[in-house]
Amino acid sequence: MPLALMILRRLFWIIPVALGVVTITFFAARVFTGDPTELYTPPEATDELRAQIRERLGLADPLWVQYGKYLSDLLRGDFGMSFTTGLNVGADLSDRLPATLELGLVGMVFGVLAGVPLGVIAAVNRERWPDFLVRGVTLGGMALPQFWIGLVLIWIFFVTLGWLPGPVGRLPIGVNPPPLLTGFLLIDTALAGDGEKFRLALRQLALPALTLGLTTLAPVARVTRASMVEALQSDYIRTAIAMGHGRRVVWFRYCLRNALLPVVTLIGGVAGHVFGGAVLLESIFGWPGLGQYALQAIERSDFAALQGFVIYASLLYVLAFLAVDVLYMLIDPRMRTP
Amino acid sequence: MSDVLLSVENFSGAFRAADGRLTPVLHDVNFALRTGAITAVVGETGSGKSLTALSILGIQPATFVRTSGRILFEGRDLLTLGATALRAIRGRRISMVFQDARAAMNPVFTVGQQLAEVFRLQHGGSRDAAMAKAIDALRRVSIPEPERRARQYPHEFSGGMAQRAMIAMAALICRPTLLILDEPTTGLDVTIQSEIMELIVELGRSAGLTACLITHDLGVVAETCDAVVVMNAGRVVETGTAEAIFTAPQHAYTRKLLAASLLVPA
Amino acid sequence: MSAPHILESVAGHDATADTPTAPPSPAVQVAVPTRRRAPLSWSMRIGLAVLVFYCAVALLSLVWTPFDPLSPGVGEGYMPPSREFLLGTDRLGSDILSRIMAGARYDLGITLVAVTIALVVGTILGTIAGYYGGTVDIVISRCVEVFQAFPGLLFAMLVVKAVGPGVLNIILVMSFIGIPDYLRLSRAEIRSRRNWPYAEAARMVGNRSWQVAFRHLLPNSAGPLLAFTSINAAFVALVTASLGFLGLGLDPNTPEWGSMIARGQDGVMTGEWWLSFFPGLAILGMTGAFYLLGDALSDLTDPRRRR
Repeated sequence: MPLALMILRRLFWIIPVALGVVTITFFAARVFTGDPTELYTPPEATDELRAQIRERLGLADPLWVQYGKYLSDLLRGDFGMSFTTGLNVGADLSDRLPATLELGLVGMVFGVLAGVPLGVIAAVNRERWPDFLVRGVTLGGMALPQFWIGLVLIWIFFVTLGWLPGPVGRLPIGVNPPPLLTGFLLIDTALAGDGEKFRLALRQLALPALTLGLTTLAPVARVTRASMVEALQSDYIRTAIAMGHGRRVVWFRYCLRNALLPVVTLIGGVAGHVFGGAVLLESIFGWPGLGQYALQAIERSDFAALQGFVIYASLLYVLAFLAVDVLYMLIDPRMRTP
Repeated sequence: MSDVLLSVENFSGAFRAADGRLTPVLHDVNFALRTGAITAVVGETGSGKSLTALSILGIQPATFVRTSGRILFEGRDLLTLGATALRAIRGRRISMVFQDARAAMNPVFTVGQQLAEVFRLQHGGSRDAAMAKAIDALRRVSIPEPERRARQYPHEFSGGMAQRAMIAMAALICRPTLLILDEPTTGLDVTIQSEIMELIVELGRSAGLTACLITHDLGVVAETCDAVVVMNAGRVVETGTAEAIFTAPQHAYTRKLLAASLLVPA
Repeated sequence: MSAPHILESVAGHDATADTPTAPPSPAVQVAVPTRRRAPLSWSMRIGLAVLVFYCAVALLSLVWTPFDPLSPGVGEGYMPPSREFLLGTDRLGSDILSRIMAGARYDLGITLVAVTIALVVGTILGTIAGYYGGTVDIVISRCVEVFQAFPGLLFAMLVVKAVGPGVLNIILVMSFIGIPDYLRLSRAEIRSRRNWPYAEAARMVGNRSWQVAFRHLLPNSAGPLLAFTSINAAFVALVTASLGFLGLGLDPNTPEWGSMIARGQDGVMTGEWWLSFFPGLAILGMTGAFYLLGDALSDLTDPRRRR
């Protein structure tokens, strides 16, 4: 089974990558940002109290002792305590993960489902108006900062039209979340049979997901277009036409599957970023996800939280590319027989 | 002549550059393919022979435009047909074997799938029946273990095997009236080349196929073809029976070509 | 004789089928001059024109802007676009047009310098790794892998927070983030050409290995590298604006476009859209031009995309 073997080998590779990332973060955070004891100590504190706090934060030991302790804790699955929340970082992360995943999934699915067909339309109408239109729109989608698109959408749909709610997070202020099951509000509300809350959650999700979708759509459509254009000029497409296949069959069955490989790579990269916490997007929409958590950890020199987040994000990145390679094998038989 | 299946008449064409300028590449090409015969169109790289062949099926490069002439197939001008009418002819009536069959087959579908899908497109029927036909076609072009081979992808085929599969698709699955072969043996080993040519001749004879063989290899032509069209720089310089061309070439270019192929002393 | 030859090879046929009488020149060599003669594409012209315009504005802002971009209160706060303040004023009453003009110095300047540094350093390392292979290559490549698994923006945030605000620091951080990409690209380019006949020839006539790598192989990769540089510049510009938006890296009063958008964020909620809107358009123009230029460059250098 070459596929299973490849997956195993790649999973094994995560270990050195994770170790490298942890080490860099550990030392970079401490060396660069210095001692954060002051941040967590009242200014009028005595030196004794200050030392106590420092001890409690685990900052009193020499650096390499802290590092060894952190690694051994990590091996036992303990991510350490967040200075800010006072909770275990593992718990903090799994608390915030569903918010990030929910937004990321909905936004990406929208972006891919819209982007791929747009790219195909542009490619088969190459150098005609649909092509120019798609290229123009996607150029804008790539050239604009995501946070600006988000703000403009808020201005249009919330401030001006009033169709959608403002950027206050996953539920309107004052609405209690449904009983926690999966952490995905859309699923939890549906399971609880709470149609009203489902609607509220969906409306809150609409704008951030649209923003994310638009910024995903642009590169997806462009890459789809480029690789479709190339595949359309290939010998095998000429054969398919010569054998009498119709245009739609040629485009969507014979061509698209060949053209999908670069798109899959792109989506893998996007997924790595999106699920790693779209920091800016979450901060604009008050979305309580991992990106906000990471931002806060940086601002407050919350070492354990920062390290935990970086481990999670880099693992996710590696896994996303593993998924890409597995998909490659499923799409392209040439990858299966090296 | 009543037994002419397809005729190319005064066909001229040019490539259109991005700025709209035309560069003429085909000049008044004239030749006819007779029913049941194997006609060779011979010429070196760039003589316009492939371009003419692709134009018959309307799959020429997008930048190529016809400037005059027509291509008559059973009394209809192929160059003026609409998309639907052209599709009804492609594969069913006129089919084509391409150079470099490994690249001409879709890399992400099995060879069997590709043959079966063409069969269903042209003759209908169930998936299973079509796959059975595909395997049968592979067997008839002497591909060993056709059941296993049908489940393989083009990249798992050797060049010669892929060309056999391509011929199975174009000749046996499509069952066309006219089969065009565009440099079918280029890039293959010499021994494989002759095997492929034997296969083509055999299929042509047994199925009563009219074939048009595009090639630059005169050696191939001498043994297999009935008639020969010699092209050079976008023009037809000489046409005639194979015997006439080989024994008494009229045009200087034909003689040069013959000399270069080392078959006949100049 | 040669005209149809060019054209049929463009059509993708017979490119390898040489008869004894055929000219020895392979298709690519013949096809290149026809491509060079083609007029500059529209995307190239627009991209270059816009970038020149931005450079001109950045230079102009050094000597003249309608109002002082740094001083608050040249008008009242939150004034909508008018004849006096073409793009309106911000919360503190600064003129937004003046600030956008001055911002070109920061956003364009940071982008250009950071990208240049990343290009030079990354390409040198990548060429070394690609040409010499072996241990050097393994060490460099593994380091790159670890760095690439690191979320880029987060890394920038962390380092900028650590080293403190300042234009120079941002430039260093942004170029550091870019290095791995250039390294990977140039490494792959050099590896693919390392054993080509002309490299062999260059070695045989007695060139030193660094001469072969940097003077014979690298120039052949200039096209793909420049195309990537242009697209990467757009990315760098966006991350720079993102850092500004998060309030990291520069003094909050700096007329950097990202921080201007952040400063106007509250205004958006109350309908004063122009505070954030116009700086975003400024970013759009610059990054869009980089993308257009990058596309045009890769079209020029990748014959497959032009067929």
